[in-house]
Amino acid sequence: MTDESNPSSRVSRRQFLRWAGATAVAGALAASGLDLLHPLGTEAAFRSVRRLSDAPPTQFDREVASLCEMCVWRCGLRAKVKDERIYKLEGNPFHPHSRGMLCPRGQAGIATAYDPDRLKYPLIRSGPRGSGKWRRLSWNEALDYVAAQMLAIKNQYGAEAMIFSTTHNLVQTQFENMLHAFGTPNYGTQRSLCYNSMITANLMTFGLEEPGRDYSQARYIIYTGRNVLDSISNSESQDAMSAIARGAKVVVLEPRFTKTAAKATEWLPIKPGTDLAFHLALIQVIIEQELYDADFVQEYTVGFAALREATQSYTPEWAAGKCEIPAETIRRIAIEFAQAAPQAFAHPNWRTSNFLNSFQTERAIACLNALVGSWGRPGSLQPVGGEEGAGLGSIPQPAYPRTAAARLDGVPWKYPLVPLKLGVFQELRDNIITGQPYQPHGWFVYRQNPAQSLPDRTKTAEAMSKLDFIVTIDVSMNDTAWFSDVVLPEASYLERYDPLAVVDGTVFIRQPAIAPLYESKPGLWIFKELGQRLGLGDYFQYKDEEDYLRQQLAPLDITLEELKAKGHYRLPTSAAEGDKAFVFNTPTGKIELASQTLANSGFSAVPVWEEPVSNAPGAFFLLSGKVAQHTQCATHNNKLLHERMPSNPLWLNTVPAAERGIRDGDEVWVESPAGKVKTVAYVTEKIRPDCVFMTFGFGHVSKALVTSYGQGISDSSLHLSFTDPVSGSQALSQTFVTVTKA
Amino acid sequence: MDHPNTSPAKTRWVFVMEPERCIDCEACMISCSVENEAPLGKHRNWIVKIDKGIYPNLSTTFLPENCHHCSNPPCERVCPTGATYRREDGLVLVDFDKCIGCKYCMMACPYDARFVNEEKKAVDKCTFCVHRLDAGLPPACVETCIGHARHFGNINDPESEVAKLLAKHPYYRLYEEAGSEPAIYYIYSNRVIE
Ligand code: SF4
Ligand code: SF4
Ligand code: SF4
Repeated sequence: MTDESNPSSRVSRRQFLRWAGATAVAGALAASGLDLLHPLGTEAAFRSVRRLSDAPPTQFDREVASLCEMCVWRCGLRAKVKDERIYKLEGNPFHPHSRGMLCPRGQAGIATAYDPDRLKYPLIRSGPRGSGKWRRLSWNEALDYVAAQMLAIKNQYGAEAMIFSTTHNLVQTQFENMLHAFGTPNYGTQRSLCYNSMITANLMTFGLEEPGRDYSQARYIIYTGRNVLDSISNSESQDAMSAIARGAKVVVLEPRFTKTAAKATEWLPIKPGTDLAFHLALIQVIIEQELYDADFVQEYTVGFAALREATQSYTPEWAAGKCEIPAETIRRIAIEFAQAAPQAFAHPNWRTSNFLNSFQTERAIACLNALVGSWGRPGSLQPVGGEEGAGLGSIPQPAYPRTAAARLDGVPWKYPLVPLKLGVFQELRDNIITGQPYQPHGWFVYRQNPAQSLPDRTKTAEAMSKLDFIVTIDVSMNDTAWFSDVVLPEASYLERYDPLAVVDGTVFIRQPAIAPLYESKPGLWIFKELGQRLGLGDYFQYKDEEDYLRQQLAPLDITLEELKAKGHYRLPTSAAEGDKAFVFNTPTGKIELASQTLANSGFSAVPVWEEPVSNAPGAFFLLSGKVAQHTQCATHNNKLLHERMPSNPLWLNTVPAAERGIRDGDEVWVESPAGKVKTVAYVTEKIRPDCVFMTFGFGHVSKALVTSYGQGISDSSLHLSFTDPVSGSQALSQTFVTVTKA
Repeated sequence: MDHPNTSPAKTRWVFVMEPERCIDCEACMISCSVENEAPLGKHRNWIVKIDKGIYPNLSTTFLPENCHHCSNPPCERVCPTGATYRREDGLVLVDFDKCIGCKYCMMACPYDARFVNEEKKAVDKCTFCVHRLDAGLPPACVETCIGHARHFGNINDPESEVAKLLAKHPYYRLYEEAGSEPAIYYIYSNRVIE
């Protein structure tokens, strides 16, 4: 048994694994700990108390220009503040990502800041992990304790025994600073669950991570599972809608009739896993009929002959048998696309963690664009890039210690081509369990929720149970925090400074609209304070957050006060820019239709067909994806968003539903080899009969999330882990489930 | 232009919606809820979703909607206390202090635009963001419409965006047969949605 009063003691594994099966979680809220989370008077309304007939205010004490963080798109916002309360968030017209508009999540941001379930104080558990029993600590006590635990692990097992993980954010530079200064190579990010295959394929082809898109003059767009009108990236969603309204032809490959499909010119309900066949056939037709841009191919690409040879047999007739799309449709689209080019692009997509062949799919899409010369021209893909933070001053720091230990996530010793900054998160998790090549002991989680985002959460629970110490820093008590030993409350994005952001040559600031609520603190402060206690103070040479920003602004002709008032600052254009559009950062300096790098690692140099797994009779592809009203697993406790979408029913086609006697709204059991959960069916025409779909982020097990606790189900209770050997991408669409009436 | 809301000398605020551009993101709904502090679960605006067809021949249409601020408002006619009234510029408003909660107006409204606001102890609905309008700002839902589906302006000003849109495109209004002369205009899709 465990010692319930000592948080550093290990929880028995059986006890800890109980939460992993969603159906096993039930019962009343644990008494003591939750009282601490919800003390009296925390029903902090995001609404005012006004006289009945008073109109909402139009005069405010201040309007603060800042940046949204309800997703990673980071739109500019204006916060309207009166009497130290935020009344309304609106888009900043000067920011290229918002253009004066916020999406539903951005609009709902105040309900994240004023969420009564927010973390308020540093907490240390006073019962077993997941028991919900917590004791309140002062920041001093909490930081001292966390530093002592981390140093104890470092001294006993080496720095590599600490894992650090986070998700894309503006404080990432300081997060990485701490990780490197601490000396561990073990860096977990969400990327392998998201876009590894897309980024790796573009690096291999164009030498950059993600090409931009010029919608303004595009005449033909192909989306391959990118649901751009529902999975909102504010400015891109605006652009896509405007292109459609203007009359651009839009083809959507998607097993589900998404909102993007509903607006598209043509929806192709392709069989999951076969997008690769479709794109290979487009390439085959375009080469065979000589519809490619011969001058462009000649000047800017290498490997055309190898690509032609490899794709010769991928005729539309061949692809039709794979994709369940008629051959004449595929041939027609190939011709239309090539004719519209270069004002045409096949979108590189975003979350591409679908099948083990998704890397090949992304490679085929990249080559398709290159063949028709969709690059750096109006209406085509665009060379974009440049580092975040370029042009800003940097904060002085010593060199990092050398790290000799291998990375637990297999990069590069098992996954030679996966970029270090992407990593293979699911492999990291699995190697915590196996203890190979060595056993880690601690996990520092910053603004991330791996307990829910990683597939197969039984395994994630098992991995967490192997660790002696877990600390989570977040705004809310997410599922990972709930099973941590220490939880530190970060100030919400509306209450803190973050490092400056540069977008399209303009500097933008995230600054507090109101002071941090409760005892929450900004990430920049937390990293500095913790760094000092870890003996790494030299790596955090800023007095406070404002000083950090002042150092960033030092080379520029603007003061912090001016930037705070204005919200943005246009960087002087550097004279040395020049035209880099057609300089490719690949080994050959050209677009690599055939890649020697891939061949050297034993992979095919050109895109080739890889047969995806298919479903057994009666089993469904389990598909998952986003909705406009929520972001990953981070927004479901926001009362305004929860009200719009409180749960995630399972999309099921009418035909298989009728066969199983399931009607809309019925309870159903969904079962995969990873687990069995009960949910509600949404019976619809809008999905292929061999697929079911659910949006992710629901089914929280943290009882501290009172609004969303236990609502809906988590895809991580069903998904299995599969890893693409080239890009390290997880394959999220190749778990099969059965569905029965409950 | 030839429609009943035209009376050249006056300001007449109207909405022009482009359903084809609505992506059903509901930013307008949340923006409105925050701006106007509608109680959770109640909304001054909404999106009508129309699904048609059998897999795989499908269509979906989204119609953004809110109170139509009718020129001949049935809600105003039935209100026994004068709480519901119509302004010169066409806005149909509710004086919360005068509302006795009889709900006659809710029954009379052809668009189901009204709801009981328990916190205000009155019937509530879209005001065309009159407080913002009077301060020179666009309605909160229009300002944040990322599909650019919602447009707002003075129909009697030929230079306004709404007047230009209506001059250029065929349009319709909802339940025109009810005779309420609604002030939300919907642009016909220029694409064929079967
Ligand atoms: S897209 Fe929406 S959530 Fe994301 S940053 Fe922009 S407004 Fe915020
Ligand atoms: S005009 Fe104002 S009150 Fe009416 S729906 Fe739009 S935001 Fe709501
Ligand atoms: S904000 Fe615009 S696009 Fe989004 S649902 Fe409302 S009307 Fe439609």
